[in-house]
Formats: sequence, C-alpha cells, structure tokens
Amino acid sequence: MKKIILYLATILLIFSCRKEDSETFDGPNLNDLFGEFSIIQDITVNSNTVNFPVDNNVYFSGELSKNTSWIIDLKGQTSGANRKLTGTDRIISIDNATWDGGANTFPGFGLETVFVEISFPSEDNSVILYDTIQVTGSKIDDGILITSFENGVGTKWSNFNQTTVAGGITCGDGNAAKGNCYYGFNGTVGWDWAIGSVMIQDDNNDFGLPANASNLYFNMAFKPIENIGAQNTFIQFWFDEDENGDGVFDPATEDRFIYEYWYQDTGWSLISYKYADIQFDVDGNQVATNGNGLPEPGKLFSINVFYLANKANGNAKAYIDHLIFTTNKPYTP
Amino acid sequence: MIKKTLIVLFVILSNYMFGQQKKFQINGAARGYFFSNELNIDESLDTITTRKANYGHTLLDMGVNLFPNDNTEVLAMFRIRNELGGFWGGGVSFDVRQLSLKGVAADVVRYELGDIDLKMTPYTLFNYQEEGVINEGDVFSLRRDIVHYDMFYNPDNSWRMQGAKANFGLEFNGLIKSLDVKTFITRQRATDGILEPERLFGGGTIKLVQSDNLSLAFNTVNIFDLEGTIPDSIQYKNNVHTFNLNYSKNLNEKIKLDFKSEAGVSNARYINYADNRAPESMNDWFYDVAVVSNFKGKNTSITLGYKDVGADFLSPGAQTKRINYSKFPALYQQITNDATGRQISYSDVISGNTENSFKISEELMPYYAAYNNSNPYGLATPNRKGVYAEFQRTDSVKFKNSFVKTALLTQSRGTGTNEKKNFFLIEAGTDVYLNDFLGWKKQIKLDLGLRYENTSRGGEVFEVVSLNSTFVDLGLSYELVESFDILVGAKIWSVKGNEFNNDRNQFNNIVNFNVVNYGFNENTYAAGLRYRFSDKNILSAQYQINNIKHTTGVNPDYGISQFTFLYSLLF
Repeated sequence: MKKIILYLATILLIFSCRKEDSETFDGPNLNDLFGEFSIIQDITVNSNTVNFPVDNNVYFSGELSKNTSWIIDLKGQTSGANRKLTGTDRIISIDNATWDGGANTFPGFGLETVFVEISFPSEDNSVILYDTIQVTGSKIDDGILITSFENGVGTKWSNFNQTTVAGGITCGDGNAAKGNCYYGFNGTVGWDWAIGSVMIQDDNNDFGLPANASNLYFNMAFKPIENIGAQNTFIQFWFDEDENGDGVFDPATEDRFIYEYWYQDTGWSLISYKYADIQFDVDGNQVATNGNGLPEPGKLFSINVFYLANKANGNAKAYIDHLIFTTNKPYTP
Repeated sequence: MIKKTLIVLFVILSNYMFGQQKKFQINGAARGYFFSNELNIDESLDTITTRKANYGHTLLDMGVNLFPNDNTEVLAMFRIRNELGGFWGGGVSFDVRQLSLKGVAADVVRYELGDIDLKMTPYTLFNYQEEGVINEGDVFSLRRDIVHYDMFYNPDNSWRMQGAKANFGLEFNGLIKSLDVKTFITRQRATDGILEPERLFGGGTIKLVQSDNLSLAFNTVNIFDLEGTIPDSIQYKNNVHTFNLNYSKNLNEKIKLDFKSEAGVSNARYINYADNRAPESMNDWFYDVAVVSNFKGKNTSITLGYKDVGADFLSPGAQTKRINYSKFPALYQQITNDATGRQISYSDVISGNTENSFKISEELMPYYAAYNNSNPYGLATPNRKGVYAEFQRTDSVKFKNSFVKTALLTQSRGTGTNEKKNFFLIEAGTDVYLNDFLGWKKQIKLDLGLRYENTSRGGEVFEVVSLNSTFVDLGLSYELVESFDILVGAKIWSVKGNEFNNDRNQFNNIVNFNVVNYGFNENTYAAGLRYRFSDKNILSAQYQINNIKHTTGVNPDYGISQFTFLYSLLF
C-alpha cells in the first residue's frame, strides 16, 4: 500500500506542475464588456504650450477603469484644422495618444489655440473633458516643399487667367490650407472650361527631387468653392521634364505628363499620388508624350496647375495650396 | 420400397442441410411510431402558432448477413420508411442504412470495412451520453432508445463511422503476456472540390499486457485533411496521443485496488488558412489518475481520482456532443406573437426533435449550461481540473445499480477574467425493487436519479457567476399482469442563476460572452402502458406533459403535451 501511495504521489507531482495561467485568460475581458466605467487617473496633456519644431510633439496620459473607445478631438480655433486621436486602451500614454502637430486632412494647424475635447463614445452618460493647447510653432513637414505660396510668386513662375478671371495669391484671410497664403481662381467663363493656371518653376531649375519615381508622392491641397458637383470641376497637372538638361523645356521633344483630378465636394482635399503613376491615364493605359515616356522626377522642370470648370454653370471659384513631394507615403497635413 | 427410398433421401438431405455452414441470416427491426403534440401557451402570448402537430411513421430495417465462407461476413441493411399520411408511395423513402464487410485474414487479423463502430478512451474517441439521464426510468428510455438506434448511439459509447478497422493480438511467454493492436481509418468528409478538403480520421491502440494486473496502452487519433483535394492548400490537423496505465493489486483478501490512469497531449493546426484568426497551432495536455477500491464479494467499489484537462486540449473524437443546443428544435421552432426562437426543451431531447451529431466535430459545439456546465464535453471537457469520487454498488437484494458520483472542479484558465469558475457536481441513482420490500411477486421497480450542479465565480460584481441546476430523474414500472407494465416517470429541472456562455469562433477561440440569467422550472411527466411480447418486441402507449415556467420574466412560459404510440420489434 505504501508503494502504491508513493507511485501515486510521484505521478501527481510530475503532472501537477501545470503552469498556473493566472495572468492570462480566454476571450475578451469581462471588465471591458461589463465593468463600470470611470477615470482612475485624470487625462492630461504633458504641456499646454507646444512649439513643434522644438518639442516634436505633445502627448496625453491618464488611466481608465476599462478598455473602451476614447476620442481626443483637437480643433484649431482659427484654421478649423482637426485631428482625432482614437484608441481603446485602458492606459492612455505617449504610446497611443501623441500629437505631432498634424491634422487628419487639410487645413493644417497654424499658430493658434487648439481646443481639446476628450470623449468616451461607448460609455453612456460619461463625462466629456476639455482642455486647450497653444501652438507656438507649426510642425515641420517631412518632404520637399515646392510652394505653400507663403513667399509670393517665384521669379520663373507664369500664370494664365481668362479675361474674366481673377487669379493669384491671397494671404491672411484665414482660408489657407496650410500657413497663411494660398492661390485662388475666381471668375465666370461662359465660353470655355479653362479658368486659369499657374506654372511653378524653381528659381534654379532644380526642385531637388530624387531620381526614383516609384516611391515619390506628389501632394497638393485643393478646394473647389463654386461651380462644384459631379463632373463639373477638375484640376490638370502638367509635369514638364527637361530631359536633355539644357535648362529649357521643349514640348516637341520632351515629356509633358498631364494628370487629371476630379473632385465634387467643397472642402479642402488632399490630392496625392505616386509620381510614377503620372505615366498612366485613369484606365491604366500609358499616356502619349513626346520624350522617353518615363517619369523622371530628377528632371522635373515645372509644374503647371490648371483649373477647369463647367462653362455652363456660371461662376467658378477654387483654391490650391501647399504643393509638396513626399517619399514612401502620401503627405499628412 | 418407395417408403424406404424416401427415408433414405430424407436422411441424406437432412445430413446435407445441417452439415453445411449457415450461408445467411436475416435480422433487423420494425417500428410504428405515432406522435400527437399540442403546444400549451397562453393566448395572450401567442395567437399565431398552430397548436397541434401530428406525425408518425412506420419503418422496416431489413438486414441480411451473408457468410460466403468461414472467415467472412457481409451485412447489408436497408430501411424502408413510410411517413403516416403519405399514400401510394408519397412520403416513402428507401435507404441503405448499413453496409459492412468483416472477417478474419489468415486467422490472425480481424478486419471490418464499411460502416463500423469505433470507440477508444474517454479522451480520444468516445460518444458520451447526452444530458438528462441519471438512472432513467423505462417510460423515457423506451423512447430514447429509438433515437439512439436511429443515430447509432450504441450503449458502448461508440461512434458510427465509415471506413475500415483491423485488429490482431499476439501472445508471448516472456515478460510481456500479450500485445493487442487495433487500428482504423475513416472518412469524415468528402471534398466539395472548392473550399472543403477531404477529411480523414484515423488512429489506433497498441496495448501491452504484462499480466492480469498490469497493462500499458498507447492510443492515437488523428484528423487530417488531404492535400490536393481542393485548389487551395488549407489543411486542418488534429492529433491526440495518450497513454493508459492500469495496475491492479490485491491489498488483502477483501480489497482489490485498481490504479487507472490516462495522460496525453493534443495538437491542433490550421495550415495555410487565410483567415488571420486561425491559430497556427494549439497544444495542450491532460492527465486523469484514479484509484478504485473494489470490495470483494460486496459488488461495491469506491473510486478516488484527480484530473487536469488543459484549456487548449482539443480532442474532437471525445468532445463532440450528441446534441447541438444552438439549433432550434424541429417541432414548434418559433413561438409567441414575436416568433421567438424556441430553446431546446427536454421534451425535444426525448422525442429526437433536436439536431443530433452523426459525425465528430472539430469545433467545440455550443452547450446548454442549464443542463450541464461542469462537463459539457464529457470527461475530456477542456479547462477543467480537480478531484472526483465515485461510490458504486452494482447489486444488492433490494437496491440495484446504486451509485454516487461527485466532482469538485475548477478552470485551469479564466474566461474573460483571471477569476476562475468552480464547479461542484453530485449525481446519485439507484433502482429500488419495491416488490422486495412489499413482498409482492410482481415486479415494481422505482428508478431514482438526482443531479445537482453548482457553478460559481467570485471577483467584481460584473464577473460573478452563481448558477445552480438541480435535476431529478424518476421512473416507476409496475408489472400489472405478466408482460404488461404500467410506466410512469418524471424529469424535473430547476435552474437558477447566471452564467457567461462562451461564444467561440470556428477556430475554438472565445470571441464573446453571452450573459444569460437562468431561472426556470422544467417538468416533464410521463405515464404509459407497455406490453412485452418479448424482450425485443414491445407495444407502448404514452402520454407526456412538458412544462417550462420561467421566473426571470424574459422568456415565455409554455408546455408541450404529447401522446405517443410505439410498436417496436427487433429481430
């Protein structure tokens, strides 16, 4: 009998070494599903004043009683720019609630007061928290800026406006997508879709773009205001490349890629596409050019932004702003 | 002269007939079954559901066993079924119910092909009993047997499958007394050629017998999809490998100890699944050890054991449930004016109005926590560990088949919380022969069964679980005159409390919890008459009332009354 008990005890000892899974469990957390919601540690921003070029970012921290969805809604007082930080983690920290100064889309934040609203949409009757952040320095864009129209018209730029159209740079009216200035077109052209254009060329004939077109994105802010709606308004981009490097673009022998973008809403939108894609039309077919047919950003000579609208619809009005190239991903305002 | 010639011919013919091997044998079953159901529900709750539903059938299972030679047997069984009310061929079905071939090769290997019954251990391949049977009375078992017969739920807990099996044994004179080998391969699913690959299930046992007192067995069961049977390369695989070690020892002249154990591992793999919820691999293990004290001459045994089955231990052959409780019953699927889906009641279980499994499922099927929460997947229920005990007395003068079983289990891993559920289970039953008490000659037998289960979990208010389920199973059979019995019985459920039911995805991961507040009394009463033409031939008429009364106020109270007429013959 003693032997049997000994055998049994040995076997039980061997098998009873199952690791106690006290830290893990199966399925979703019941606390998250059914637990009571409360804010255990106040949600605060690490600084109410931020200079993004110096500070890089600001972040929020706090602790909730459960994992639940939360929204930190940031709104620029002057620009109307908006950025939403969202998450579901119980712990709010630098890992999941950091703001780098950017917006979800255009317009971007300027030097202004930003209103902060923190809410918990899945929790009935939960509190809404408010705060403010003062932006004293805007974030530095990660990309190659062509122009944000902040410095006026370049020495080599040219523009075209129909006789009934007023086209040019406007500053300080609070309508810019980024910064203080933008380029606008406004007028009635009853005889033609063409409203106006601005051809942007670098002072030194070199935008400083990399050679690889496959990971380079062209970005621009666009805002149609009048003569809008489906199939009424579009932008044409002409990318002229100086393929032989003689400092002159020859449309008869060199590439001019024309890319169209149609838009029907009235807010600022981000136009963003890969430079390599300008060689194809909307159906994916290769477009005809007079050069070698290869998009070569390093040889980009000028960008012509051409605004067109339905001539039958009366007055046409639109703004453009912030032309910038980015690598690997589209621009984030 | 003519008379003498006839006598000689008769003797020669008799010698010829009786001297030959029997060439064939006919067996089978015949049945006539009629149901008359009535739904009892308050008019204010339901004015749209048709209250009465009558149906029935007659059928014949005709089996022919052919013996083409001394070592071979072929069984073919056909079923002719006629739904009552279908005339001139309407409602008649003709099916092959069973087709198998078995024999002995070279006087060594027993083999069987076609429809085969397979059973191994409770952790590898085992068709465990459905809920609500604790020493059940004849008035219920008589009808349950029909369901079991139709679904091939055999008393030995085997699964009916299609494939092949073989076994052989070797005997030795040395250290090992004998070696028994059993193996099988079955087809679980045919491919649809598009999404579902062909699925096979195979395995076997190698058992080494050292002596009458010591044996060791290795068991393996494996589910696997065949590559190349669909354009995609997805494959599901599940392997379970276990060892049994059994040792017996006479402690003294009165007590014999049996040490029983089984331990093993499982591994489930989802190979090349595009669904990112599919775990690459799930592994876990279990063990179950017990000591059985047999008291010689008293037909009594006491078992004391401990088991630990991992939360990710997946053994489809042992965990497949007979009843799919997530499906609505075939009868009165929706009730009330809101057309609410009706949860399976025990009346549906007895009558076979449930969706019953005919093959093993790789998914852990939904279960009904009100009926069984501690061991919903049998002994192999994953995520359970703890002690269990059993007292059993197989025979005595006035009480027969008495038993008391109890278990105190807990989860190995929490579900939705680090707090773990605790389960307490006790089951008891006995057959009481009242005629022995009363001194009557005619048999009057009382079947008593009781089951109580408690589930609890502590912690914060939102995660607390407290569920009590009590089940009383009663039956009485009285032989009024020879072969003519009066049968009565009752099944009484009383369930109260709350539970967070697991909602699993197809990969057996818990993705949500359904909060359920139980509070109901479900009573099923039955009475009937039975005439036994023989042990295999009975005629019975029964009336059964099933009522469900809820205390939560969420679900409607209702009942189903049922009259059944059954003629059953096995031959």
